[in-house]
Parts: sequence; C-alpha cells; structure tokens
Amino acid sequence: MRKLTGPGRPHPALYLFPLPAVVLYIVFFVIPTVQAVQYAMTDWDGFSPDYEVVGADNLVKLATGGDSLFTNALTNNLKFLLVVVVLQTLLSLGLALMLLRNTKVSVFVRSVYFLPAILSSVSVAFIWRFVYDPNVGPINQGLAAIGLESLQSGFLGDPDQAIYWVAMTQVWAHAGQLMVIFIAGLQQIPEDLYEAARLDGAGRWQQFRHVTWPLVAPTTAIVVAYTTIQSFKAFDLVLGLGGNPPRGSLDILSTRIYTTFTNSEFGYAAAQSLLFMVIILAVTVLQRRALKLTQKGA
Amino acid sequence: MPSSHRLPISIDRRGLMGLMGAAGVAYAASSCAGPGSTSGGGGPAPTGGSATDTISFAHWRAEDQQVFDSIIGGFTGSNSDAGVEQDISPSQDYQSSAIQRLRGGEVGDAFTAFRGAQFEDMVAAGLFAELADQDFVSAYSERFRPVGQKDGTQYGLPYQVVFLMPIYNVDLFEKAGVSELPQDWDGFLALCEQLRSADVTPIAWPGGDAGNAAQLFNSMTMNNAPSDDYCAKIESGDYKCTDDWFLKTLGQYAELAPYMQKNASGSAPEPLQQLFTEQEAGMLATGSYHIAATRALGAEFAMDVLSPITTTAEEARFEGVHNATFILGVNSASEKQETAVAWLEHLSDPEVAGEYANGTAQHVTVDGVEYTNADLKRLEPWLSKNTALAPRYQFLDLDVEAAVEAACVAVVGGQSPEQAAEEAQKIVDEQIG
Repeated sequence: MRKLTGPGRPHPALYLFPLPAVVLYIVFFVIPTVQAVQYAMTDWDGFSPDYEVVGADNLVKLATGGDSLFTNALTNNLKFLLVVVVLQTLLSLGLALMLLRNTKVSVFVRSVYFLPAILSSVSVAFIWRFVYDPNVGPINQGLAAIGLESLQSGFLGDPDQAIYWVAMTQVWAHAGQLMVIFIAGLQQIPEDLYEAARLDGAGRWQQFRHVTWPLVAPTTAIVVAYTTIQSFKAFDLVLGLGGNPPRGSLDILSTRIYTTFTNSEFGYAAAQSLLFMVIILAVTVLQRRALKLTQKGA
Repeated sequence: MPSSHRLPISIDRRGLMGLMGAAGVAYAASSCAGPGSTSGGGGPAPTGGSATDTISFAHWRAEDQQVFDSIIGGFTGSNSDAGVEQDISPSQDYQSSAIQRLRGGEVGDAFTAFRGAQFEDMVAAGLFAELADQDFVSAYSERFRPVGQKDGTQYGLPYQVVFLMPIYNVDLFEKAGVSELPQDWDGFLALCEQLRSADVTPIAWPGGDAGNAAQLFNSMTMNNAPSDDYCAKIESGDYKCTDDWFLKTLGQYAELAPYMQKNASGSAPEPLQQLFTEQEAGMLATGSYHIAATRALGAEFAMDVLSPITTTAEEARFEGVHNATFILGVNSASEKQETAVAWLEHLSDPEVAGEYANGTAQHVTVDGVEYTNADLKRLEPWLSKNTALAPRYQFLDLDVEAAVEAACVAVVGGQSPEQAAEEAQKIVDEQIG
C-alpha cells in the first residue's frame, strides 16, 4: 500500500485538523445549500413524501415579478436597507469621531450607546412597539403635550411610513455596536498624518476628507457589509414589531420566506431563499465597489 | 527537518475513504427531512393498552404549564409507571415547525394542533393516529367533534372553546344606559353612538396586530356571506373580495372606524387591554381569550361577549362566533402510543377537563364539566347558542388569509373599500394561480 507521506511533504495527518470544521461546514452549509437548489426545483410542501419537479418555474416566477408579495417584500427591504445603511453608518461614524478619545466620559458614553446592542431583538421590538403606539406611545403623547398633534403619526399603522420606523429602530439598536468598530478603525490612523495635514493648512473637514475617510475605508467596508446583511436579516425585529405574519407594509424578504415556509410551500420558499442569497451577494458587491470609488475620489 | 514535524499518525487512502464515508453518513442524516422521507402512517391508535412509558406532550400554551403539571400529577398517580413531559414551543414556532418536529416521533407522542391549516397539514402528513375506536371520544360534545375529523375520520379532539367576538364591559354598558344588546347593524351603530356619548371609546380594536385584528373579521362576515364556507370559497376562487357581500363588509368596517380608538389600524393589543381594563373602552374587539388577560391587569367589572350583527335581525344566521381548537392527537410515529392514548383518556375525564378549564379560564369541549370560574360561568350559555365556527380558519393559505384580512385593516386606515378589495383580490388571484 502506497503511503501518502514522504520527504518534503507535510504529514497527511495534518489534514485531519481542519476536518471537523470542514465536516461541519459541509453538513450545515454546503449540503443544505445544495438541497435548497434541489428543493427550489420542486413543489415540495415540506412533509409529503412525494413532490413534482417544476424545473425553474419557481425562480422564473420570482425573478419576473410574478409574485407581488415577494416583489413588495424586496421593495420594502431595499427601502429599509437604504435608510439603515446610510443612517447607521453616518451615525456610528459620527459617534466614533466624537467619542474617539479614551477619556472617562467618552468610555462611559460609549457604553451607553453600546447598550442597545446587548438587548435581544425581540426585547428591542417590544420596547419600540410601545414607543410607536399611536395612542399611548411617548412620541405621540409628547407631541400632544406640546400642542403638536398635527405631527402625530400612525407609525407602524401607516403603510407609507411603517418600514422607515422599523429602520429607525434598527439604527437605534445597532449604531452603538458599529461605533465601536469605527473607533477601533479610527484609532489605527497614525496621528502624524493629521499633524502633516494641519501643517499643510488643512481644516477639520479637509482632514476628514483626505485623511480619515480614505484610511477608514477598510472599516467602513466591514460596517457597510455587516449592516447590509443585517438589514436583510432583520427578521426578529420585524416580527416583533409587526406580528406574524407581518402586514404587507412591513414584510421584508426574510419574513416573506418564513411565511412561505410556514405556508407549507418549501419548494417555493427554497427558491426564494436562493434568490435572497443572490440579492445579498449582488448588493454587497455593488456597495463595496461604490465605497471604493468614493474613497479613491477622496 | 521534515521528520521533526511528523506526528505519530499516518493515513492512507483507505483511511481517507473512511473519513469520506463518515461525511456521507452525515449527509444522509442531514437529508432525512427532505423529499422522499416517509411520513407517519396514520392508522388507528391502540385501544385497551396500559400506560407504562414516559411520553412527550407537545403543545404551545406555556400559560397552561402549571395546570398541566397538576393534571399530570393526577395521571401518574393512577399510572405509576407512566410519565408525561411537556414539550412547549411558542405558538408561532409551533405553527411553523411542529410538523417537522413531530413526524420523527421523538417528541410529541401526544400532541396538539391548531384548527385550520396546521390540522389539515398534519392529517395530510399522516401524523394523527385515528381515534374513532376510543371510548373516550364520546366524552366530547358532538357539536365540537367534527373539528377533529377529516373525511369522516376522527383524527383529533379539540379541547378548548373560545368565543372569537368582542368582549364588553357589562357595567359600563349599564352606566351608558344600554338596556338591550343590538340585534342588527343599525342597532350596533346606535350602541356605539350611545357609548361615545358617554365619553367612552366604543370599540378598542388592535388593527396593528394581524392575528388579533382578524378576530373581528369573523363577526363582520359571518352573516353577510352567501354561504358558511365562504373563506374556503375565496381560496378556491368561487368567491371574490370584489363581490358585493365583501364590499358591504368593508363598507361596514369603514362605518365602525369612527367608533374605534384613534389610529386603530396601527394599535397593538397590549395598550388596548389596558384601555379596556381602565374602563375607557366599552368593547375590546378580539375574543374571550382576553378576559383572563384583562383580569390579570386588574379588571374587576363583569364581562360578556357580543357580536356585531351586520344584517337585519331576520337575515342573521348566527349570533356569534366560537372556535374549537387545541386539537389533541396521538402521534402515529410514536412508539408509546398506548400511554399517549391513556393520557388523552385522562384529559377527557370531565373532572380533569374541569380542572383544566377553571385553571386556565378556558371553556372545554368535554361534556359535563362544571365551571366554577365566574367568567366561564357567565359565558357558559354561549356554548349552546347559535354561533358560527370561526370562519377565518377555513383559510389554508396564509397569504390569501392575510390579504383578505388586511383589506379590512386598510379600510379602517382610510382606504376605500373598492380599492382595498381589488388589492386583496389581486394577491388572492396570484396565490391560487
């Protein structure tokens, strides 16, 4: 029997070390993904032993707008994504810039902003469900108290605004967490670059534009990619705020897929999941490219 | 030097093949849930066996856990070799994943099902062992037994009865001068007006919570629809949301909107329970299941249920709405079916059912139960009234159901009935193909 060992080669037993991780990856990611492709081509209901192969029908229906519920969820998700990515990135970067120094006050304020990140999404949802209540919630109550009833909102009950209010909750919950990542990135920027910029007569904005922004690029890329994925997966927050199943104005892709699974349409839900993966991938790639362009321009 | 990095292990091709085989076994295990798996076989549950195993009882009612613990104590007292372990999931999880969890038979030797899509799917999956041969079936009211049947076969036994119609504050009604409950639509609007004149929000309606909001749908449609199986017929395409009867219903929702709390379409149920408890709302338009919840918040006034009658008194087919749910079953994939049957038999005893009913403030479907809870006693006459079996559970497609029920919320939110109906029908058409 020919051994796989030999002079100059790593010992084959070394290949055993990553094996547990590889097996877990295969069993819990690769196989389910392959199975999702398989199921996506069927009308399997999730429990019957029999199913029909429907080929690409499920994917075609989704991709061509034949399912208005899915299209609506995608539209909502893109609105949600846009608000969350822009606001959360700007807010967390702004907070990081303000709280960059390691003073006692800064450290305390950072921990206050970070606090929502340690709450479960369900807790956050229930807190904000109360805040957004149009009758007893503090926002409408406060507006009424100062005579601004005309500015009161129906919040989650207003189909035109509902998804944006959920997005605001998401920003509230995660801005502090991303602030910490930005602080770590900002603290890596050498101080002498700022000194050089100041010697060249650069003001605060110019220092930010020509030093901070380009050098914080890797951190921003991580934050934006993380926020994007988080926005597509804001499942528990939406269900907590909007109930199950959420109404059309609050439905996003993850909740739509969940409803489809619950509706015993596993084949169709698998097709939705595949498209979901492709959409996240595409949006993330586009974002990274856009970010590189803005930072090269700086 | 390479040899210094060597480990005292060597591997040959056969070893690698073995590892790949292990990965294959893992693949096979992970594929068990996929198409091609065998479902439960159905077939009759055993009769006359003895309870000698510890079984798993799967359900979603965490609030009943203590009462069930007490009932289990009674069961194990008379079956010393048996035991029952509760396997409780949150209701949403149970709704979405119970079939997958139960079909292997490892959990849920005895289990429960929601009426509607879940029961139908579980029957189709062969999860229920047939119960027709069990003597204890006769302990259940004939009126409610059909809820656990499919094509004439008794698969399950609904255990709870709830009234899915608005609850009202009897004292507040009296203070507002309401001497007689309305028997028609004009009377119901007059009642709302009377309550509003007494500075009370006539109807607290949680339009922001789909599940609770939709309970009013039952009352609003049951007498308007041309047949009793109208939700099933919307789903089959025989009826449309744009039909006159449904447009009339949506128009009536619009008529009710001014009598609901402000921004009703965005309201959550919890603040409304508080509003009702504090006697600032005359009706809470959800169901009798909220009586216990408002009692827990401190409500001490008398409560009853009433349903808006959307037609004239002569045209009305039903006085109210009930639902029979928490359908008990024996898992056909279980190897402990004899004990599971004994557990169901125990629950079917009127004394045990009474312990459950009074402990959880829920009516039950078992005959001969003595209700000692004051709220249950007050509502007991409704068990024999002419109430409709909650129509909304005829929907088997969640998206169709959500679209139809959302039309009602949209109208309260200000959309025109015609537009809401058209939007709902568009989704229904897409879903039913």
